[in-house]
Amino acid sequence: MELLNQLAESVCEMEVKTTENLTREALSEGINPLEVLNNGLIKGMDKAGKLFEEEEYFVPELLMCSDAMYTGLAILEPELKKVQTVKKGKVVIGVVEGDTHDIGKNIVKMMLETANFEVIDLGRNVPIEQFIDTAVKEEADIIGLSTLMTTTMGGMEQLIQILKEREIRDRFKVLIGGGPISQSFAAGIGADGYGANANDAVRVADNLISEKCEKTA
Amino acid sequence: MLTPKERLTAALQRAPVDRPPCICPGGMMNMIIEEFMDLSGISWPEAHSDPEKMAGLAASVYESGGFENYGVPFCMTVEAEGFGSPVDLGTKVNEPRVTDYILTSVSDWPRLPRLEANKGRAAAVLDAIRRLKAKDSGVPIIANLTGPISLASSLLEPMVYYRELRSKNEEAHRFMSFITENLIEFGKAQIKAGADVIAVAEPSGTGEILGPRMFKEFTVTYINLLLSGIREAGCGGAIVHICGRLRSIYPGLNDLECDAISFDSITGIRQVRQNVQNKAIMGNVSTYALEKASPAQIRLIAKYCLRNGVNILSPACGIGPRTKLSNIRELVAAAKEQGVPEGNNGH
Repeated sequence: MELLNQLAESVCEMEVKTTENLTREALSEGINPLEVLNNGLIKGMDKAGKLFEEEEYFVPELLMCSDAMYTGLAILEPELKKVQTVKKGKVVIGVVEGDTHDIGKNIVKMMLETANFEVIDLGRNVPIEQFIDTAVKEEADIIGLSTLMTTTMGGMEQLIQILKEREIRDRFKVLIGGGPISQSFAAGIGADGYGANANDAVRVADNLISEKCEKTA
Repeated sequence: MLTPKERLTAALQRAPVDRPPCICPGGMMNMIIEEFMDLSGISWPEAHSDPEKMAGLAASVYESGGFENYGVPFCMTVEAEGFGSPVDLGTKVNEPRVTDYILTSVSDWPRLPRLEANKGRAAAVLDAIRRLKAKDSGVPIIANLTGPISLASSLLEPMVYYRELRSKNEEAHRFMSFITENLIEFGKAQIKAGADVIAVAEPSGTGEILGPRMFKEFTVTYINLLLSGIREAGCGGAIVHICGRLRSIYPGLNDLECDAISFDSITGIRQVRQNVQNKAIMGNVSTYALEKASPAQIRLIAKYCLRNGVNILSPACGIGPRTKLSNIRELVAAAKEQGVPEGNNGH
């Protein structure tokens, strides 16, 4: 639909005002709010995420796109509450203790939410025990850890060890990322997934959720 | 034989040296480990604010067979604190950090006080530099400055800051000019106090975060403004450290007016050598390896860096305080073993 394509485009072009107007217009034309969300706002944000991955967009651009998306979302929200949406899964996310760099984590959180995950954000400098306790309490599907510093990478391995010791390792998928992290490091410590960037993290989270569903099915 | 200071100054100018120096600047590129604290009897967090202790701990690094330089301060919170940010000085093994943002938007900048170099911990840094200078030991004193972008993004929430670089572009530039002017004053005072070399770390102004266009528009512009201001005071050399992958920003890096470029271990030395022609290359021993690997492995990594042509051997980032002195000594030993590398004479 042309109007929704325009809406997607305006999100991706960082046009806050246009996004606001087009969202209202779509609603007043009687388009299903869920469709406005999925084929308009989220489609635009997906495109922005793709441009981010391709290094056409960087953090400032992605943040501007998310401003546009959330402006539209605020208008849709009262309508969306009338139609139930089922979340894909629950992710507990945070930056490992000793590290306060949370830009990457915030972007991953934003992209996960856009992709319809429920995200519990523990913030930065988060003790390993807090990740685990929250994941248990919230019955999360995925624990997501990020660190930019090499000196705090050990915390990720420690988390997996504690999960094993408590015999709850198979309850959660562990997804890690951040500047110094690599696929081989993730494999080495026994993490379930590694996200090279925010878009990749969403893809990996999707895969981890389907793995988890297959296993429990 | 060259003194460590002569060697570093020559290496920064890419002049012939007997061998590459092995340094760690301080500041974001932390050089302090627990063993130095235990050996000197001077510990964090006290050494972050007491000038005598700051100088004593910095000097203990070289005196215990560690890096071939002195470097102060040991964190990147001095300037933010000078602007009024609340700072938690941390513990023996945790670095200080800014605990709250004092601005809510780039347009709030007129509210900021001027950064006064003769007050608070800025004054302690200057006093520490004077004490190190008085030693007259031939060891270069590196004074550290927080990069303009990184300083700005510790004054307000980075997610707000980054989007306002675009959405409030003009105000963002005014904010950055103000911050940079203040950094210049502090940098000049550091030189006047006796610093031989200035190191600027810009972990938040990277190409990975900003992209090549905004890296040039902000990071390169304000680091160059900073360095040209400081050079008026007669600085013996300037090092800039940029975190993250550099691939997208090589043109911008060539425009940086520093003497040496320092970078993360995820970026290959050869790639930097190929793409950055006009600077000394400094790096880039993985700090994760420095903390976890054996001395023999560290020797191999150091040799690899030297073989690939670093002009200055150093850790790729700040080292963890639990890093072992034996590993640092391996780094220094690897540099000492090195003769003048082939093909590196006089260019």
